[in-house]
Amino acid sequence: MNQEQFDKIEQEITPPTPYVKNVLKAFLVGGLICTIGHAITYFYIIFFDFTEKTVGNPTAATIIFISMLLTGFGLYKKIGQFAGAGSAVPVSGFGNAVISAAIEHRTEGFVLGVGGNMFKLAGSVILFGVSSAFVVSLIKLILVTMGVIEW
Amino acid sequence: MKKLVLPIFLSILLVGCNDEKTLEVNNANGEEVKEVAAIIKNEDEINSGRAIFVEDQLLVAVQAKPWLDYKKTKIEKNLKKKLEEILPEYDITVSSDYKLYWEAQKLLKEEDSEKVKEKLEKLKKLKKEET
Repeated sequence: MNQEQFDKIEQEITPPTPYVKNVLKAFLVGGLICTIGHAITYFYIIFFDFTEKTVGNPTAATIIFISMLLTGFGLYKKIGQFAGAGSAVPVSGFGNAVISAAIEHRTEGFVLGVGGNMFKLAGSVILFGVSSAFVVSLIKLILVTMGVIEW
Repeated sequence: MKKLVLPIFLSILLVGCNDEKTLEVNNANGEEVKEVAAIIKNEDEINSGRAIFVEDQLLVAVQAKPWLDYKKTKIEKNLKKKLEEILPEYDITVSSDYKLYWEAQKLLKEEDSEKVKEKLEKLKKLKKEET
Protein backbone atom coordinates (compact mmCIF):
# COMPACT_ATOMS: atom_id res chain seq x y z
CA MET A 1 0.00 0.00 0.00
CA ASN A 2 1.47 3.34 -0.95
CA GLN A 3 0.82 6.73 0.58
CA GLU A 4 -1.92 7.70 -1.84
CA GLN A 5 -3.94 4.56 -1.25
CA PHE A 6 -3.53 4.97 2.48
CA ASP A 7 -4.76 8.57 2.32
CA LYS A 8 -7.77 7.49 0.31
CA ILE A 9 -8.74 4.71 2.71
CA GLU A 10 -8.13 6.98 5.69
CA GLN A 11 -10.43 9.62 4.27
CA GLU A 12 -13.15 7.08 3.62
CA ILE A 13 -13.03 5.72 7.16
CA THR A 14 -12.70 8.98 9.08
CA PRO A 15 -16.14 10.21 10.11
CA PRO A 16 -16.94 13.67 8.75
CA THR A 17 -16.33 16.54 11.18
CA PRO A 18 -19.69 18.02 12.17
CA TYR A 19 -18.66 21.60 11.46
CA VAL A 20 -22.12 23.12 11.63
CA LYS A 21 -22.91 21.38 14.91
CA ASN A 22 -19.57 22.40 16.42
CA VAL A 23 -20.02 26.00 15.35
CA LEU A 24 -23.51 26.09 16.83
CA LYS A 25 -22.31 24.63 20.12
CA ALA A 26 -19.43 27.10 20.30
CA PHE A 27 -21.80 29.96 19.46
CA LEU A 28 -24.32 29.02 22.13
CA VAL A 29 -21.85 28.34 24.94
CA GLY A 30 -19.65 31.32 24.04
CA GLY A 31 -22.76 33.48 23.94
CA LEU A 32 -23.86 32.14 27.30
CA ILE A 33 -20.49 32.98 28.86
CA CYS A 34 -20.70 36.49 27.42
CA THR A 35 -24.26 36.86 28.72
CA ILE A 36 -23.07 35.94 32.19
CA GLY A 37 -20.30 38.49 31.74
CA HIS A 38 -22.85 41.12 30.83
CA ALA A 39 -24.93 40.27 33.88
CA ILE A 40 -21.80 40.77 36.01
CA THR A 41 -21.22 44.09 34.23
CA TYR A 42 -24.66 45.32 35.21
CA PHE A 43 -24.17 43.99 38.73
CA TYR A 44 -21.07 46.13 39.13
CA ILE A 45 -22.69 49.17 37.54
CA ILE A 46 -25.81 48.99 39.69
CA PHE A 47 -24.37 48.04 43.07
CA PHE A 48 -20.91 49.63 42.87
CA ASP A 49 -19.51 52.91 41.56
CA PHE A 50 -18.50 51.71 38.11
CA THR A 51 -19.44 53.31 34.82
CA GLU A 52 -19.60 51.60 31.45
CA LYS A 53 -16.11 52.94 30.81
CA THR A 54 -14.54 51.50 33.96
CA VAL A 55 -16.53 48.31 34.47
CA GLY A 56 -14.52 46.21 32.01
CA ASN A 57 -11.65 45.42 34.36
CA PRO A 58 -13.60 44.06 37.34
CA THR A 59 -15.86 42.07 35.00
CA ALA A 60 -12.93 40.40 33.25
CA ALA A 61 -11.33 39.68 36.61
CA THR A 62 -14.51 38.09 37.92
CA ILE A 63 -15.01 35.93 34.84
CA ILE A 64 -11.38 34.77 35.01
CA PHE A 65 -11.78 33.99 38.70
CA ILE A 66 -14.94 31.96 38.10
CA SER A 67 -13.34 30.00 35.27
CA MET A 68 -10.28 29.34 37.46
CA LEU A 69 -12.53 27.88 40.14
CA LEU A 70 -14.38 25.78 37.57
CA THR A 71 -11.06 24.52 36.20
CA GLY A 72 -9.96 23.53 39.69
CA PHE A 73 -13.16 21.59 40.24
CA GLY A 74 -12.76 19.89 36.86
CA LEU A 75 -15.95 21.36 35.38
CA TYR A 76 -14.36 23.62 32.78
CA LYS A 77 -12.91 20.55 31.07
CA LYS A 78 -16.43 19.32 30.39
CA ILE A 79 -17.53 22.69 29.03
CA GLY A 80 -14.44 22.76 26.83
CA GLN A 81 -15.12 19.29 25.47
CA PHE A 82 -18.66 20.27 24.59
CA ALA A 83 -18.15 23.78 23.26
CA GLY A 84 -14.57 23.87 21.95
CA ALA A 85 -13.63 27.38 20.93
CA GLY A 86 -16.80 28.71 22.55
CA SER A 87 -15.18 28.20 25.93
CA ALA A 88 -11.62 29.09 24.90
CA VAL A 89 -12.10 32.39 23.08
CA PRO A 90 -13.81 34.42 25.85
CA VAL A 91 -11.53 35.66 28.63
CA SER A 92 -12.54 32.65 30.73
CA GLY A 93 -10.26 30.55 28.52
CA PHE A 94 -7.34 32.54 29.89
CA GLY A 95 -8.12 31.53 33.47
CA ASN A 96 -8.47 27.95 32.34
CA ALA A 97 -5.08 28.03 30.60
CA VAL A 98 -3.35 29.38 33.71
CA ILE A 99 -4.85 26.98 36.21
CA SER A 100 -4.74 23.83 34.09
CA ALA A 101 -1.00 24.36 33.52
CA ALA A 102 -0.52 24.94 37.25
CA ILE A 103 -2.39 21.73 38.10
CA GLU A 104 -0.48 19.76 35.51
CA HIS A 105 2.93 20.69 36.94
CA ARG A 106 2.15 20.77 40.66
CA THR A 107 4.02 17.52 41.27
CA GLU A 108 7.25 19.23 40.21
CA GLY A 109 7.16 21.58 43.18
CA PHE A 110 5.86 25.04 43.83
CA VAL A 111 8.69 27.13 42.40
CA LEU A 112 9.95 25.23 39.37
CA GLY A 113 6.69 23.35 38.79
CA VAL A 114 3.75 25.64 39.42
CA GLY A 115 5.63 28.94 39.27
CA GLY A 116 7.67 28.11 36.22
CA ASN A 117 4.90 26.55 34.17
CA MET A 118 1.83 28.50 35.19
CA PHE A 119 2.10 30.93 32.30
CA LYS A 120 3.31 28.37 29.79
CA LEU A 121 0.15 28.81 27.73
CA ALA A 122 -1.18 32.09 29.04
CA GLY A 123 2.20 33.79 28.74
CA SER A 124 1.85 34.03 24.98
CA VAL A 125 -1.63 35.53 25.44
CA ILE A 126 -0.17 38.22 27.68
CA LEU A 127 2.82 38.88 25.45
CA PHE A 128 0.89 39.22 22.21
CA GLY A 129 -1.97 41.00 23.95
CA VAL A 130 0.35 43.67 25.30
CA SER A 131 2.33 44.07 22.09
CA SER A 132 -0.75 44.26 19.86
CA ALA A 133 -2.32 46.76 22.29
CA PHE A 134 0.82 48.85 21.93
CA VAL A 135 0.58 48.79 18.13
CA VAL A 136 -3.14 49.58 18.13
CA SER A 137 -2.76 52.48 20.54
CA LEU A 138 0.12 53.79 18.49
CA ILE A 139 -2.08 53.78 15.37
CA LYS A 140 -4.85 55.51 17.31
CA LEU A 141 -2.45 58.13 18.65
CA ILE A 142 -1.31 58.87 15.09
CA LEU A 143 -4.90 59.12 13.85
CA VAL A 144 -5.91 61.41 16.73
CA THR A 145 -2.87 63.62 16.18
CA MET A 146 -3.76 63.87 12.50
CA GLY A 147 -7.33 64.79 13.49
CA VAL A 148 -9.06 61.86 11.78
CA ILE A 149 -10.76 60.55 14.93
CA GLU A 150 -11.17 61.58 18.55
CA TRP A 151 -10.24 59.75 21.73
CA MET B 1 -40.21 21.07 27.05
CA LYS B 2 -39.43 21.28 23.36
CA LYS B 3 -42.81 22.83 22.64
CA LEU B 4 -42.02 25.64 25.03
CA VAL B 5 -38.70 26.57 23.49
CA LEU B 6 -40.07 28.46 20.50
CA PRO B 7 -42.61 30.66 22.38
CA ILE B 8 -40.02 31.54 25.01
CA PHE B 9 -37.43 32.34 22.39
CA LEU B 10 -39.87 34.46 20.41
CA SER B 11 -41.09 36.38 23.42
CA ILE B 12 -37.51 37.18 24.44
CA LEU B 13 -36.76 38.24 20.88
CA LEU B 14 -39.84 40.42 20.57
CA VAL B 15 -39.35 42.22 23.88
CA GLY B 16 -36.51 44.01 22.10
CA CYS B 17 -39.01 45.46 19.63
CA ASN B 18 -40.69 47.62 22.26
CA ASP B 19 -40.26 50.89 20.45
CA GLU B 20 -41.82 53.39 22.82
CA LYS B 21 -39.62 56.25 23.87
CA THR B 22 -39.65 56.87 27.59
CA LEU B 23 -38.86 60.24 28.98
CA GLU B 24 -38.72 61.27 32.61
CA VAL B 25 -37.98 64.69 34.03
CA ASN B 26 -37.91 65.61 37.69
CA ASN B 27 -40.16 68.31 39.05
CA ALA B 28 -38.92 71.70 37.99
CA ASN B 29 -40.38 74.80 36.37
CA GLY B 30 -42.40 74.01 33.28
CA GLU B 31 -40.83 75.96 30.41
CA GLU B 32 -37.43 74.33 30.48
CA VAL B 33 -38.81 70.87 31.07
CA LYS B 34 -40.86 71.14 27.92
CA GLU B 35 -37.93 72.37 25.89
CA VAL B 36 -35.66 69.57 27.03
CA ALA B 37 -38.37 66.99 26.48
CA ALA B 38 -38.97 68.25 22.97
CA ILE B 39 -35.29 68.03 22.08
CA ILE B 40 -34.89 64.51 23.39
CA LYS B 41 -38.05 63.44 21.62
CA ASN B 42 -36.78 64.74 18.32
CA GLU B 43 -33.53 62.75 18.53
CA ASP B 44 -34.05 59.60 16.53
CA GLU B 45 -30.99 57.88 17.91
CA ILE B 46 -32.13 57.97 21.53
CA ASN B 47 -34.17 55.22 23.09
CA SER B 48 -35.00 56.79 26.43
CA GLY B 49 -33.92 59.68 28.54
CA ARG B 50 -33.97 61.06 32.07
CA ALA B 51 -33.37 64.70 32.93
CA ILE B 52 -32.61 66.10 36.37
CA PHE B 53 -32.77 69.81 37.15
CA VAL B 54 -31.02 71.08 40.29
CA GLU B 55 -30.48 74.80 40.72
CA ASP B 56 -28.25 75.78 37.79
CA GLN B 57 -27.32 72.22 36.88
CA LEU B 58 -28.89 69.86 34.43
CA LEU B 59 -28.10 66.18 34.08
CA VAL B 60 -29.41 64.41 31.00
CA ALA B 61 -28.88 60.68 31.00
CA VAL B 62 -29.89 58.94 27.80
CA GLN B 63 -29.78 55.45 26.40
CA ALA B 64 -28.86 55.13 22.75
CA LYS B 65 -30.71 52.69 20.53
CA PRO B 66 -29.06 49.26 20.79
CA TRP B 67 -27.65 49.22 17.27
CA LEU B 68 -26.25 52.73 17.64
CA ASP B 69 -24.22 52.01 20.76
CA TYR B 70 -20.98 52.47 18.86
CA LYS B 71 -21.53 56.18 18.23
CA LYS B 72 -22.53 57.09 21.74
CA THR B 73 -19.99 59.87 22.15
CA LYS B 74 -21.26 61.53 18.99
CA ILE B 75 -24.85 61.37 20.18
CA GLU B 76 -23.80 62.83 23.53
CA LYS B 77 -21.97 65.66 21.86
CA ASN B 78 -24.84 66.53 19.53
CA LEU B 79 -27.36 66.53 22.33
CA LYS B 80 -25.17 68.64 24.57
CA LYS B 81 -24.73 71.21 21.81
CA LYS B 82 -28.47 71.43 21.20
CA LEU B 83 -29.24 71.72 24.90
CA GLU B 84 -26.64 74.41 25.43
CA GLU B 85 -28.19 76.45 22.67
CA ILE B 86 -31.57 76.72 24.34
CA LEU B 87 -30.44 76.61 27.96
CA PRO B 88 -27.23 78.65 28.04
CA GLU B 89 -27.63 79.54 31.73
CA TYR B 90 -27.43 75.91 32.84
CA ASP B 91 -24.37 73.79 33.56
CA ILE B 92 -25.26 70.80 31.42
CA THR B 93 -23.98 67.25 31.71
CA VAL B 94 -25.04 64.78 29.04
CA SER B 95 -24.22 61.11 29.35
CA SER B 96 -25.23 57.92 27.62
CA ASP B 97 -23.65 55.78 30.31
CA TYR B 98 -25.89 53.20 31.94
CA LYS B 99 -24.55 54.07 35.40
CA LEU B 100 -25.75 57.64 35.13
CA TYR B 101 -29.03 56.51 33.62
CA TRP B 102 -29.57 54.14 36.53
CA GLU B 103 -28.67 56.71 39.17
CA ALA B 104 -30.89 59.29 37.48
CA GLN B 105 -33.82 57.04 38.18
CA LYS B 106 -33.05 57.24 41.90
CA LEU B 107 -32.61 61.01 41.67
CA LEU B 108 -36.04 61.35 40.07
CA LYS B 109 -37.60 60.06 43.27
CA GLU B 110 -35.36 62.06 45.62
CA GLU B 111 -37.16 65.05 47.10
CA ASP B 112 -34.33 66.75 49.00
CA SER B 113 -32.55 69.00 46.51
CA GLU B 114 -29.40 69.16 48.66
CA LYS B 115 -28.99 65.42 48.37
CA VAL B 116 -29.68 65.50 44.65
CA LYS B 117 -26.98 68.09 44.20
CA GLU B 118 -24.50 66.09 46.22
CA LYS B 119 -25.18 62.96 44.21
CA LEU B 120 -24.95 64.88 40.96
CA GLU B 121 -21.47 66.07 41.82
CA LYS B 122 -20.49 62.50 42.57
CA LEU B 123 -21.87 61.31 39.26
CA LYS B 124 -19.98 64.01 37.40
CA LYS B 125 -16.78 62.82 39.01
CA LEU B 126 -17.58 59.24 38.09
CA LYS B 127 -18.17 60.24 34.51
CA LYS B 128 -14.68 61.65 34.26
CA GLU B 129 -13.00 58.50 35.57
CA GLU B 130 -11.09 56.59 32.92
CA THR B 131 -9.88 53.42 34.60
